[in-house]
Amino acid sequence: MNYPLMLYISLAMFTMGVIGILTRRNPLIFFLAIELMLNAANLLFVSFARQWENQIGLVWVFFVVVVAAAEAAVGLAIIINLFRSKQIVDIDQYNDLQG
Amino acid sequence: MTGIDIAQWILGFLLVASSFGVIIANKPVYASLSFLSSLLILAALFLLLSAQFVAIMQILVYAGAILVLFMFVIILFQDAYLQIGKFKARSNRWLLTIAGISWVLLLAGVGAVITQYPVSANPLPEGFGTVQSLGQALYIDFFFPFEAVIVIFLIAIVGALYIGRKVHS
Repeated sequence: MNYPLMLYISLAMFTMGVIGILTRRNPLIFFLAIELMLNAANLLFVSFARQWENQIGLVWVFFVVVVAAAEAAVGLAIIINLFRSKQIVDIDQYNDLQG
Repeated sequence: MTGIDIAQWILGFLLVASSFGVIIANKPVYASLSFLSSLLILAALFLLLSAQFVAIMQILVYAGAILVLFMFVIILFQDAYLQIGKFKARSNRWLLTIAGISWVLLLAGVGAVITQYPVSANPLPEGFGTVQSLGQALYIDFFFPFEAVIVIFLIAIVGALYIGRKVHS
C-alpha cells in the first residue's frame, strides 16, 4: 500500500484533465476531461480513507459519483442543445455570453 | 517491495497513460474508449485499496450509465460531423507545448517532495469498505445528505429534459 504514489497518480490525472480543458476545443472531449478530474478526486478520497482507516472518504466517493451522473445528464443536454442551435462543433465559437 | 506495491506501480502507470489517451484522442469515440479503460484501471486500484463497494459502484455507474449516455450523444453527433466536416476542433500548438512543459515541471517538483513521505501500511479495521459497513454509514450517519442527493438528481433529470426538448420556432 504505497500511499504517496496514489497521491501522485491522482495529481497527474487531475492536471491532465485541466490540460485537456485548457487545450482541447471539442465539447465532448472537454466533458471527458471534466470526468477525469472527478475521478482523480475519487482516487484521492479512497486513498486517504485507506490511509486513515476512515470510511467517510468512501461515502464521499458515492456522493461525487452521483453528482457526476447529474452533471453528465445536464451537460450532455446542454451540448446537444448548443449544437442544435448553432451547428458548430468548436467550443470557442460559442461566445454569446461574453457580452 | 511486495506484490501489491508492484501492482500499484503498474496500474498507476497504465492509468496515467490511458488518461493521456483521453486528452490526445482525435475523435470522441477513441477518447471515450480510453476513458473506459482508465475507469476499469481505477476500479482495480480501488480494489487494491480495499474499497470493494466503491470499485463495483465505479464500474456500474460510470462505465454502465454515464459512459453509455455519452456514447449515445456521440452517435447523435456523428450525423452532425458528417454534415459539417469540422471533425477536429483545432487546438493551439504553442498552448499544447506550454501545457506539456509545465505539466512535466509540476510533476517533477511534486515528485521530489512526495518521495520523502513515509510509506506505511496500516492494518485495516474489521469490515472496511464492505457493502454492509458502508451502508450503515450511508443510511445512518449520512442520511440527510443521501436524501438531498436524491433531490439533486431528480432536479437534474427534469432540467436535462427541459433543456433537451424540441423548441418549435
